[in-house]
Amino acid sequence: MADPNTKFLVVDDFSTMRRIVRNLLKELGYTNVEEAEDGQDGLNKLKSGGFDFVVSDWNMPNMDGLTMLQNIRKDSALASLPVLMVTAEAKKENIIAAAQAGANGYVVKPFTAATLDEKLSKIFEKLGQ
Amino acid sequence: MSKNEKKITQSISDNTALDGAVAVKANEDDMLHRIGQMTRGLHESLRELGLDQMIEKAAQEIPDARDRLNYVATMTEQAADRVLNATDIANPLQDNIIDKAASLEAKWKDVMKTPSLKSEYNEAAEATLVFLKQAVEDSNATKAQLLEIMMAQDFQDLTGQVIKKITELAHSIEKELVRTLVDFAPNKPVMAAVESDGLLNGPQINPEATNVVSSQEQVDDLLDSLGF
Repeated sequence: MADPNTKFLVVDDFSTMRRIVRNLLKELGYTNVEEAEDGQDGLNKLKSGGFDFVVSDWNMPNMDGLTMLQNIRKDSALASLPVLMVTAEAKKENIIAAAQAGANGYVVKPFTAATLDEKLSKIFEKLGQ
Repeated sequence: MSKNEKKITQSISDNTALDGAVAVKANEDDMLHRIGQMTRGLHESLRELGLDQMIEKAAQEIPDARDRLNYVATMTEQAADRVLNATDIANPLQDNIIDKAASLEAKWKDVMKTPSLKSEYNEAAEATLVFLKQAVEDSNATKAQLLEIMMAQDFQDLTGQVIKKITELAHSIEKELVRTLVDFAPNKPVMAAVESDGLLNGPQINPEATNVVSSQEQVDDLLDSLGF
């Protein structure tokens, strides 16, 4: 099911959360994971190429996750990259703004391993169609 | 006025006691009047500088800060409890593995004292012994890690206390500010709390709040309803 070669970028300013997401992805069979500490760092790494999937926080210094997502959708080389938002922002406006900006999924913190698994499967399923 | 002049003034007023009492009363009135003027001046200066609004804003923000600190305390406590519960479950399991592996090892050693058994049998027994020895070592190492996990939770006690202190302090400052506002702006209706309409609000600490989702299910429902 899970293609272990799928290359993930986990973008979060808290190293603990990056570690948790990385471990959860490993449990799900995805071992090819890199990390970025904010939107700017994330965008730079994405532009260097090779990534298949982005899991990003929203509230980060330098560049937040929404701005990074908007930049990804504007960049022709990255525009089709699936982006899953994993964030503590839980206002309805946030969810709508993320969806309008082109997020492929929205997971609200605190979240469970099962939720992450379900959202990833759903996104891969849709991409496969 | 020099010390000597003061003394002279004092002795003159002593000589005219009735006149002196009237003068003291007038002085008191004057002093109270001037304090009143200073207070009004200060109050007006504060308003001119926009400080009264700043105090009002601070008074509104402190309950929010307090709730956030409470949220931090609750979340860290929950995390600490989860880890401690996990170590409570894992520790007896490890103890069990260690005990059983150790007794099995002893049993095999006894069996192998008999020389008549086949060589394959010996080989298998040797391998089992190696495994059992390793199981004991690994389990002990795991237990050391479990202890480390347990000890790493000591932060909860310390941060919890610190946060509690700050929360109490914030609460008392908030009460003082509110009282000051009520005393000095009695005719002004208390401004309704300004709702933040930004998109960076951090974790939602109150699931009952309006316009906020409180679970992943609600996120999914909202996105479904919008056709995403």
